[in-house]
Amino acid sequence: MAYRLAIDVGGTFTDLLLFNESSGELVLAKTPSTSDDPSIGVLTGIHKVASLAGIDPNRVSLILHGTTVATNAVLEGKGARVGLITTRGFEQVLHVARGQTPGPLAGWIIMIKPEPMAPLELTLGISARMSATGKVLVPLDENEARGVVRELCARGIQALTISLLNSYANSEHERKLKQIAEEITGDVAVTASYEILPEFREYERTLTTVMNSYVRPRMHLYLDGMQRRLKQDNLTARMEIVRSDGGVMSLKAASEYPVTTLLSGPSGGAVASAYIGELSGFANVLSFDMGGTSTDVALSRDGMPSVIRETRVGQYPVKVASVDVHSVGAGGGSIAHVPITGALRVGPMSAGAEPGPACYGRGGSEPTVTDANVVLGYLPPELLAGEMKLNEAQAATAVQKIADAMGLSLLDAAQGIYDIVNENMFGALRLVSVQRGYDPRDFALLALGGAGPLHANALSCLINSWPAIIPTVPGVLSALGFLHADIRTEFSRTLIRPVARIDLATIRKSMDELGSQARAWLKSENIAAARQRVQFQFDMRYYRQGYEFAIDVQPEWFKNQSGMERVVERFKNVHHRNYAFNIDYEVEIVNLRAIAIGEVPKVELKRHAVTKSGSESAQTGKRKLYHHGQFTIATVYERSRLKAGHRIPGPAVITQADSTTLIVPGHYGEVDPYLNILIWPNDRRGTTEKKVSAVGTKSGHRKGSKRSR
Amino acid sequence: MANNTVARQKENRSAAKSSAAPRTRPATATNKVTLDIIENALRNARHEMDTVLFRSAMSPVIREQHDGFPMICMPDGRMVVGQFGSYVSGFISTWKRGIDEGDVFLMSDPYKCRGAISHINDWMVLIPIFHEGELAGWASQFGHTIDVGGPVSGSLPTDATTIFGEGTRIPPVKLFAKGKLNDDLLDLILNNSRMPTMNYFDLMAIVAACRTAEKRVSELCERFGREVYLSSCRALLDRTYRAMAKLIQQNLPEHKVSFEDYVDDDGRGNGPYKMKLTIWREGEHGYFDWTGTDPQAPGPINFFLNEEMFKMFIGVYLIMVFDPQILFNDGFYPLLHVSQPEGSLILPKFPAALGCRTHALTRLFDVLGGALGNQAPDLTTAAGYGTSPYLLYNGYDQNGEFFHLMEISFGGIPGRPIGDGMDAHSWWPLFENIPSEYLETYYPLTVLEYGSRKDAGGAGFHRGGNGVHKVYRFEADGEIAIHDDRERSQPWGILGGLPGSTSSKTLVRTTGESVSLPSKISGVKVQRGDVLIYDTAGGGGWKNPLDRPVESVQADVRRKLVSVEKARSDYGVVLSPETLEVDTAATNQLRKRIRQDRGEIGKFTFGPIPQAIGVQRRD
Repeated sequence: MAYRLAIDVGGTFTDLLLFNESSGELVLAKTPSTSDDPSIGVLTGIHKVASLAGIDPNRVSLILHGTTVATNAVLEGKGARVGLITTRGFEQVLHVARGQTPGPLAGWIIMIKPEPMAPLELTLGISARMSATGKVLVPLDENEARGVVRELCARGIQALTISLLNSYANSEHERKLKQIAEEITGDVAVTASYEILPEFREYERTLTTVMNSYVRPRMHLYLDGMQRRLKQDNLTARMEIVRSDGGVMSLKAASEYPVTTLLSGPSGGAVASAYIGELSGFANVLSFDMGGTSTDVALSRDGMPSVIRETRVGQYPVKVASVDVHSVGAGGGSIAHVPITGALRVGPMSAGAEPGPACYGRGGSEPTVTDANVVLGYLPPELLAGEMKLNEAQAATAVQKIADAMGLSLLDAAQGIYDIVNENMFGALRLVSVQRGYDPRDFALLALGGAGPLHANALSCLINSWPAIIPTVPGVLSALGFLHADIRTEFSRTLIRPVARIDLATIRKSMDELGSQARAWLKSENIAAARQRVQFQFDMRYYRQGYEFAIDVQPEWFKNQSGMERVVERFKNVHHRNYAFNIDYEVEIVNLRAIAIGEVPKVELKRHAVTKSGSESAQTGKRKLYHHGQFTIATVYERSRLKAGHRIPGPAVITQADSTTLIVPGHYGEVDPYLNILIWPNDRRGTTEKKVSAVGTKSGHRKGSKRSR
Repeated sequence: MANNTVARQKENRSAAKSSAAPRTRPATATNKVTLDIIENALRNARHEMDTVLFRSAMSPVIREQHDGFPMICMPDGRMVVGQFGSYVSGFISTWKRGIDEGDVFLMSDPYKCRGAISHINDWMVLIPIFHEGELAGWASQFGHTIDVGGPVSGSLPTDATTIFGEGTRIPPVKLFAKGKLNDDLLDLILNNSRMPTMNYFDLMAIVAACRTAEKRVSELCERFGREVYLSSCRALLDRTYRAMAKLIQQNLPEHKVSFEDYVDDDGRGNGPYKMKLTIWREGEHGYFDWTGTDPQAPGPINFFLNEEMFKMFIGVYLIMVFDPQILFNDGFYPLLHVSQPEGSLILPKFPAALGCRTHALTRLFDVLGGALGNQAPDLTTAAGYGTSPYLLYNGYDQNGEFFHLMEISFGGIPGRPIGDGMDAHSWWPLFENIPSEYLETYYPLTVLEYGSRKDAGGAGFHRGGNGVHKVYRFEADGEIAIHDDRERSQPWGILGGLPGSTSSKTLVRTTGESVSLPSKISGVKVQRGDVLIYDTAGGGGWKNPLDRPVESVQADVRRKLVSVEKARSDYGVVLSPETLEVDTAATNQLRKRIRQDRGEIGKFTFGPIPQAIGVQRRD
């Protein structure tokens, strides 16, 4: 029988999750990441996980690979030397950017502006010019074009980007220029903006395209090496690369469009959260992935993570489809400090992996969130099943600095740090829920990352999302998401026209063409016809508004005019949900989009029978905790000994190899048939007793928010 | 019957409350961490207000460029979060017609709200926030609306002599009374605008942003209890007071220090206008005296400077570098003392014209920075482009539809302790430029060039930013207006840095004729095919350019931000014009010579004071 393998390459470890398609069993392996060439660690891991499962690695038929190669190239500034060809007069498009300086007033005094990824000295303009309606104002001069490309090659570029004004309206010049360039550049890959993002706003389009060029040679080298290594080891499995929008694509597509992989890892976490939530009976899930320096939060509805089309990588706004993951500088390593105002601030500075929190005993002396957890007694003095010991005295010394600066006791200072970091994450969770018009009470909260389960219960109290779900392996959840990912890509075009001025024939023709492109792509990715699906969206707004909403549409609606009324109605609903008002005014369609999806057979996790026995068998001892001004005694449990149906009364600390879970007083945990721990307030009954009707309804769309807006 | 309904609603409400978020703990006013949590929540609310406004408004000035400012206040009007300082207490003291739940106030007349907003294009909305029937605070937001009537499109005539010549003035009125929209009032106001739909949309977006704040403050009152929320707000104000007391002692001199800078002219041929500020401290109290500032101008460049707003500017400027995460509130107001001569450029008498106050408003920061720069090394920056340059363009497009564009431009950011000033960036926080593809899609124009202007930034160890260089071709007949300054008064350099270049505007007619336009002019007729070259001022340099690393100068030349000539004349770096390689020997020699010639360097390096014209001539 076939096996599927998910691989998530992180900064420190490479996680591998092997899935047996017939038995539903999962085997997990971790190997150290090899940052110089991550494919070495990947190959080591493949052999390790296969031997753990006792199978021949060749029985793996599909490998789903999440990669940070592109992300790291951007964040570490280690991408290619990119040349850029723009319309003459716009050479400084990246240098001037949107001209923005940060708030508040006088924020410019401390602003640090990153250098453009295509340096000004490698940017040249050409005289060809297109109008906003796609009319040629100045034709492309081929001799001039050749001269410009040769000049850039002579300056030693490693990748070339073409981004001309208004190319979204007519890509003719970019196409021709790319053809000319490819005749000259040889090995230097050429990317044109119409291929990456045929949408208007020149800075964002140019930036996104340049970013693709910037990471492309590195990605190409990496994937090339990976293929070679797989071949050397006689591995025949097909490898797919995880995209930022939670889908996957072939190695060839990933080599050409690596910019679509910038949020590869976090997207896996969001997909996995949606999946686990749905499995546990909660189709609406807020998830937070708390790592060392930051926390990523995301929202899933009806088992699907929401996808947006502009995200931030470092300081750069990148316009590619991504799971709506919002990152906030709050993690286990975030440093607490007290500035001149006497306020308690936590983050965004972080102790990182080195030296790490003070309690790691590796030379760190600044008080971190992890140190606060140690002082409060939430984090037992041994981590990673005894592989790592925590130094409680050093944690206390560090946190004492905050206590002294604020005139608080050591324990209250630690509690303050714990509360503030929770508040920071709460703000991020509100951003993806309340600010998008969703009521968090309709969602469960799922904790990911090593540090997440320590904060999940407290966060659920703040945002009132129940239950708090602690999956079995919070630290390797991204890999589980990869197993669940469909093959996916998008095709779009800009229209910018009020609905009243669009005739149905135009819409139908455009949708036909985009649909054909999507199906052709699915075919080229070798997807069987039965598993092909194409979805359509319109980006819509009121006339001249600056931002659009993506509205799902069906081609058959546009057989007659009522289809237009239907999409306008949908748009108005979404506008009202987000901004609480509508007006009687023209609505325009900005972009049309086809999303190509090749469905992958879904992972079925093993369901365990509910035990009648008590959870006492999993108890390993007692711990003293400090919680909101009081000491309390918590029972300590070993996660691996917990069985489906077990009830864990709070306060409790649950230990496992990659994480620690805290249940605060007034709450309890229950273990569900998939061995997730669901944390509830004592006055609410859990799922194994009685289904709670307010959450987890899978049927259809919610009709607006329950709160009046 | 009615009583029953009320009773039932009350029941429902308390039932809803018990199922709401269980409090993590009974919070008390003295709990210091609660303060930080409430501060955090208010910060989130403020960002949410911005998000709602920027994403839902229609005029590009608000939406793309972010000319809009949010605020949340205490019931007595003191600001707990915001940017411009509170004017609500002034409003409360003068409003006599009652304040009810569901009311929404609207105003635009600076003379009717003590300069809380400083020209009539800014529409300010004010919402009282009630919690369980009690006033729990205020939410406010104002935004620049595109047209409010008057003689020229955009309502910013550069030649107005009184505020009656600038458009429709809205005194404080109830736009909504107890939740009900006053349609008659709205019709009256919108009827006076050339762009009624856009204004309507923007106004509703502003109201929606305030409603967001209203909701968030109510939630905080629910979560912590109203009394805890309010006492925490008071404690936040107090915290800022104490921090500011320390900063005043660190950064203000005990002896009086004066600083002067000039606004070029008033748009009617008079100028320059001196702005003079003298600062000192006595103990932990700071004094800011505008005595010596020129009398008000006949033209519309007068700036009705609200005293509270100025205190906020000072506070933000001082504190920002030391705790950038702080939420600005006005708790420190009692520590600052401001005097403004009446009838001066910064406190004009009614009915002086105010439309083009942006030049004095922004120059104020150059003056404040210059005065503070004497004592506070972290804040010692040069002067910038010193205004908010606008271009307005209106007419009828090829479909016969009226169009009106207002675009805010940027310029050179000053050289700073942390590094070079940014090229063609916005001095105002969070403003963004309008994408050229957006301009070309919605307006009959073609952008031929857009970037920063080579050599405009003043030379320095940290270079001043280059100004904007933008070239437009108009594709329809129409009218344009220009609003800019620093055409005659150069942005100064500091600690040995040199001044930045001045601004200029040139109109090239289809006939080939080239016309130099003044920095402030409206009603200029343009024809299809005319080209406008729009250059704004650069920023001043920071510290001696002769110490700037040779490689940095060479890199700027390679990037076409600095010319070979300027590298030689101002930085003393000799480059081969062909290869751009450095001639090290010649460079060392030249740098030595310039150093000798320049002699001792003062703290500030100014350009020449503009020649006096019109009523400012003193002979």
